[in-house]
Amino acid sequence: MSGETTYYSILGVPPGAPPDEVREAFATRVAKFPAESAENPEYQNLLRAYEVLNDPDRRAIYDSLMAEMAPSPLIINAQISRTKIPITNSPQIFYVLVEVNPPHQTAKSRRPLNLCLVLDRSTSMQGQRLDFLKSAVELVLSKLAPEDIISIVTFSDRADVVQPAVRITNKSSVVARVRNIHASGGTEIYQGLLAGVEQLQQTPLHQYNNHLILLTDGHTYGDAKECIELSARAAAQQIGISAFGLGDEWNDSFLDSLVMSSGNQSAFIEEPTQIVTYLQQRIQGLGLIHARNLRLKKELPSQVILQYGFKLLPFAQPLDTSGPEVKLGNIEGKGALSFLLELALQPQQHEGRITIPLEITADIPERTAKEQTFKSQIQIVVTANPLDALPPKDLVKAVRMLNMYRMNEKVWEEIEAGNVGMAATRLQHLTTRLLEAGEIRLAQQAHSETVRLTNGGALSAEGWKRLKYGTRAMIGETVRMDSDDSV
Amino acid sequence: MIQCKECGATQYEGALFCSECGRFLMEDGRKTTDVLPFSDYGHRPPPPPPDNFKLETTPTAKNITFVIPHSRHRHIMELSGQIRVGRSGSETDDFPELDLTDDNGAELGVSRLHATIQWSNYGLVLMDLDSTNGTLLNNFRLPAKRPYPLRSGDEIRFGDLLVHVFYD
Repeated sequence: MSGETTYYSILGVPPGAPPDEVREAFATRVAKFPAESAENPEYQNLLRAYEVLNDPDRRAIYDSLMAEMAPSPLIINAQISRTKIPITNSPQIFYVLVEVNPPHQTAKSRRPLNLCLVLDRSTSMQGQRLDFLKSAVELVLSKLAPEDIISIVTFSDRADVVQPAVRITNKSSVVARVRNIHASGGTEIYQGLLAGVEQLQQTPLHQYNNHLILLTDGHTYGDAKECIELSARAAAQQIGISAFGLGDEWNDSFLDSLVMSSGNQSAFIEEPTQIVTYLQQRIQGLGLIHARNLRLKKELPSQVILQYGFKLLPFAQPLDTSGPEVKLGNIEGKGALSFLLELALQPQQHEGRITIPLEITADIPERTAKEQTFKSQIQIVVTANPLDALPPKDLVKAVRMLNMYRMNEKVWEEIEAGNVGMAATRLQHLTTRLLEAGEIRLAQQAHSETVRLTNGGALSAEGWKRLKYGTRAMIGETVRMDSDDSV
Repeated sequence: MIQCKECGATQYEGALFCSECGRFLMEDGRKTTDVLPFSDYGHRPPPPPPDNFKLETTPTAKNITFVIPHSRHRHIMELSGQIRVGRSGSETDDFPELDLTDDNGAELGVSRLHATIQWSNYGLVLMDLDSTNGTLLNNFRLPAKRPYPLRSGDEIRFGDLLVHVFYD
């Protein structure tokens, strides 16, 4: 939509601008014309634009017309593991790989970022971790644009607002405040999150791309439930949360569920030196958002059950498939968002056709409409004699990686249930598969954990996280390599 | 449900990798029988063998084509007398005219001497020679040693091996 003249561009306001902003923009612009401008076409255009946009009814009609005329801002592509399936007496499963792309010609307009960093300053952060964290924050500051807003909160047993939400004009004063952070105390994440969300709320949320980045090295005690509830409330207000864990003491499943409600990223930072890389990548992605807050409507035929969902791009992350909508996060960075679904089908006794709708709703920042829905569907034919075609290559590759990730999760389940022997066997299988996939480093990790299990009966917390987030990163890398090839 | 050949775990039909040991399950071979592109013919039973049937030599030489989707092979031969269908074996030096050895005949249950195709007063006929796994004509199982008329475009299953027949 770049370069096109719309009533919004005439007034110089974004399509979603509230009435006040429209009136203000009109007032400033109209004042620039001299009194005798009645015949000036630009003046007339300005008047017309204001008349329409200032009237809620006419504006709604104008918006819907604009939405219809514009090319679809998102394109949904779906691949399915089998299009034809046999009649059976037992349940079957199939996989769907969905890719959502912005069209190539999309103007990549950047919506300013409203960013809050929520940083752990508990005693365990002392030394290298905190030092690297400080320099990472400085780097983040240098990457932000002048219109972006930043706030910084630290937490231990309580939360401190180091930098209240502010448009960065004087970076050096912010840097000085960051340098002054000292480590002491325990880890109470809820306090930090709450203060962070409050800082984000200081800014009119609809005009910004709001995001909270949590960085912690500890286990939070007793407040995990509040944290997750807060994250869900924040997601409803268009505040996304990403979470990074340092070291081996933080609770991985907690961080995973914390980011699920906004479909964002949680990751394991193995070495303090990598803090910079992770934060930088995250900021880059957030800086370029084509569509926000994508949701897949879980409207399936009664005989189909969604068993598992996993996001592959822009980063690998398990999805929460329990609610009526699957939160997919944003389309950010270089483009595509893709995810893999595992669906189970009840036994099919008759030939027929099953249609599975794929309905994705998104907020498109450049668009007039606040949110738009995009529809696609997949079809499966149930037949007595299905063709034995191999599934699409990309899909098989993604499922292979995902299967390893899930094998890894089962190891942990066995350990929690006390079946150490079974866990060791599973780890052995995983080692073999990782070797086959050429993931030597992860295979070695899996192998040494197997040995540890067989000898002492305990998996190292760090080794476990390396395996979990390592296999997860492996999924992301494999898929990203493929999509780069195809461009 | 299917079984992983490596660890024996039971897996859902349609699973691509074993959830227990990670083996790629599609390599375990096809579970269902083979391609059936001409499904229109598929369920039509052939007419019963005529009573006043007798074998004849072909009035003029005819070309007959066998298409085997499984191996993507195509055998074209001239029909003058009898075409025997089967596999060549090391212990016999008797080669059937339509030799299905290279089409995975052994694995797909084709007998060494499985069936014959010959000319009669009713045109071309197919006869099963009491083979181990039987012969199906358009999905109809033929009783052994009885000739059935064979039309161009018919599909025959020798054991599990699907063959399409075409002639002028």
